[in-house]
Amino acid sequence: MAADSTGTDISRQAAGGKPTGLWAGIMRVFDLSLGQMLWSRRTVFMGLVVAAPMLLALLYRILHASFGDPELNGQAVRGTTLFGMTIWLLYLRFIVPILGVFYGTALVADEVDDKTITYLFVRPIARRAILLGKYLAYLASTLCVVLPSVMVVYFLTTPFDLSAIARSFPALAKDLGLLGAGLAVYGAVFAFVGTSLKHPLVLGLVFAFGWEQLALSIPGYLRRFTVIYYLQALVPHAMPQDSAMSLLQGVFREVPPALQCLGWLAVIWAVFLLLAAGTIERREYVLEQ
Amino acid sequence: MTMATSTDARPVVEAEHLSKWYGQVIGINDVTVSVPAGVTGLLGPNGAGKSTFMKLMTGQLKPSQGVIRVLGEPVWRNPAVFSRIGLCPDQDSFYDRMSGTEWLAALVRLNGYDERRADEAARRALEAVDLVEAGGKKIGSYSKGMRQRVKLAQAVIHDPELLVLDEPLAGMDPIGRRRTIRLIREWGRQGKSLLVSSHILHEIEAMTSSILLMHNGRILAEGDVHQIRELIDEHPHTVYVKGEDPRRLARAFLAEEDVLSLQLEQEAVIVQTARPDAFYSRLTELAASGEAGAVGEVTSPDDNLQAVFQYLVK
Amino acid sequence: MPIHDQGYRHYGGHREAPGRAWTVIASAGIRSMAGKRKFLGLLLLAWLPFLVEAIRFYLVANFPQASILAATRESYREFFDYQAVFVFFITIWVGAGLIANDKRANALQIYLSKPLTRAEYVAGKVSILVVFLLLVTWVPAMLLLVLHMLFQGSLSFIRANLVLFPAITLFSFVYVLLASFTVLALSSLSNSSRFVAILYAGAIFFSDGVYGVLYAVTGSSALSWISLGANLRQVGNIVFRMKPLYPDTPWQVSLLMVIGMIAVSMLILDRRVRGVEVVS
Repeated sequence: MAADSTGTDISRQAAGGKPTGLWAGIMRVFDLSLGQMLWSRRTVFMGLVVAAPMLLALLYRILHASFGDPELNGQAVRGTTLFGMTIWLLYLRFIVPILGVFYGTALVADEVDDKTITYLFVRPIARRAILLGKYLAYLASTLCVVLPSVMVVYFLTTPFDLSAIARSFPALAKDLGLLGAGLAVYGAVFAFVGTSLKHPLVLGLVFAFGWEQLALSIPGYLRRFTVIYYLQALVPHAMPQDSAMSLLQGVFREVPPALQCLGWLAVIWAVFLLLAAGTIERREYVLEQ
Repeated sequence: MTMATSTDARPVVEAEHLSKWYGQVIGINDVTVSVPAGVTGLLGPNGAGKSTFMKLMTGQLKPSQGVIRVLGEPVWRNPAVFSRIGLCPDQDSFYDRMSGTEWLAALVRLNGYDERRADEAARRALEAVDLVEAGGKKIGSYSKGMRQRVKLAQAVIHDPELLVLDEPLAGMDPIGRRRTIRLIREWGRQGKSLLVSSHILHEIEAMTSSILLMHNGRILAEGDVHQIRELIDEHPHTVYVKGEDPRRLARAFLAEEDVLSLQLEQEAVIVQTARPDAFYSRLTELAASGEAGAVGEVTSPDDNLQAVFQYLVK
Repeated sequence: MPIHDQGYRHYGGHREAPGRAWTVIASAGIRSMAGKRKFLGLLLLAWLPFLVEAIRFYLVANFPQASILAATRESYREFFDYQAVFVFFITIWVGAGLIANDKRANALQIYLSKPLTRAEYVAGKVSILVVFLLLVTWVPAMLLLVLHMLFQGSLSFIRANLVLFPAITLFSFVYVLLASFTVLALSSLSNSSRFVAILYAGAIFFSDGVYGVLYAVTGSSALSWISLGANLRQVGNIVFRMKPLYPDTPWQVSLLMVIGMIAVSMLILDRRVRGVEVVS
């Protein structure tokens, strides 16, 4: 075996591999995790969840083709209205937060529970690369499933009319952007929750479906400590009034400028992702025997 | 194929006043030890602290107190050192949906290997543990022994200098155990350093004579098992002598001062002596002369780790 | 002197009759959860609405100015709505891992190798959840009724609303059994309690969301049977002899959906609770 002047065995580095840089480590973990996330039973759940709005849109399309637009209080309910409600009631209020909670809290927690995290921690990559690689895999998986489903719903609810599509396409683009931003931000927030707290799922559900809904219905500053406040301000559709909570939130709704919302969302995303990365670097994971 | 070896005479693991506690429970208690290069057995009963020590050594746990260095480097939050260490953990957990080859290749890519080299390394590692034929099957369908072997494969795939094997023979059948022990000895001969933990004494004896004994989070003894035995001179050495006339043998033994106790059995006498060397040479003379009848068998149930351990723990 | 045998001795004491093994599973599970401080904290928090209501009853009974806050039959129905969020979190916390954790630890084989039927195993597990859920539904509701009577110093309200005793009991049991069997069935489908919790949360929120869209589009509550929560709320109103919440959906349909859900859950449990799982 060759030796350099310091007496170190040169072949040692070649044999053991070299410590992997941060970005390379992130991409390698991304490769490993993407396949696991996409082809797991959890993705069946994600698929079912995004299939429902598509089925609703298909039903609307069939009914519209057979009977014309349905009527509500003597007024025709247009496809664009249905699309807007689906964005509000299904995607924004449910699909995006629940996927953020589910995948975000489980990024590392699943591997800890399964005790497979050891194999990743004893590789020459920084722990934060593991978290960030898994986060990217989560983002890629969810964007690949959710955004196409939104497009399907859009094309099923929008008339086959170039001018109608042209009129509503900017709204679609905004919707895709805000849902993507929502997945990214919720994922980052719950990644931090998952790396730092016990019972992250319960706390995640409390935050997404308890705290956020409550804070929006109370006037004042509290709503700024939610993600949904900034996301809702970006929605280009009218807010539905389907329940008492929605009515209350509608009454107290504020719509800050879009750039401000995007700025705050970016800050939340960066801060929580950094916190999550910092936590995984410092935290000990004691696996149950 | 070049082999990564630990050619320095420096210890591969150095711990100084190392302690680790989990709340009120002490896992490792003020351990100061240097593990030399070569194959070292880490021996102790369940709960002795072996796994905790290995986890501290592989950066999975942070010391509550003290220092631990592996291959001359601190290990907590130092991922670079893991290119030189391979760990076979005790838990039986895998990505069950991946095949053995896929899993190994994916893990070794985290060591900086490109795709082609990763596939080659996976194939070589599977060959080493005799799992080539099962490499394409999902790990979820593997037997317990196969799972242990694929775990060993991921530990050794990147050709590390130091292998840390936590109960590597657990769940293996006798053939698998023998094969793995042979592998461990071969890796040791190739110049790798290995730290192998077990609570099964004869397994460790079959791999190495260099041991670390642990109990209740402390190191009881370290070194060659025979040297350790010799150091325990206040504990009598037991010799089992089977002969034609045990009573005549007993009378002959009683005459010597170093014989501390005798126990007669039907065809044998069990002697406890404070000076085993002197006793054995006298026994040889006695057997040769035939004064106390024919001597059929002489064994020492003491000259093994079990006896050593039991003396130290008492 | 007789020498006593120091070897293995067969148990010669009293044995419970077969069919009681479920009580062992139930009591072990209850003790295990009761030992967790955070869970006890959640249980305590779940009694906050009871405290608020109790204070309200006291004020009404002692301050004539507070008479506008007087409790009615509807108040008891609404109490279950306040408790819904606690029922949700307790169901997830206790129920998600009940069978999933056993599957993960390969403990089902061990359980079912004992003289324990699958029905007893399921009964034991369900009992754990039922006990905690009744502790935050039936028990505080009944206590409120008793407190109401004590603060009022008369039986007039009770006499006028005799239906409250059976209504509270019936609705509590329907609510608790639906939540328990649903989450237990989901728990039997996976090794991961986290996945089960999300499936349960998904089933509740998503079905509500889908109904919300359909209601917004059609303006009719005829499709309220899609929503698990809506079915339960509808049944609750009927049990308390109130107007149906979703007038376009017959209450019988909602009841059928609730019973159907429990039946489907039991079917899933029957298929999934097995000692050996064949992996193809």
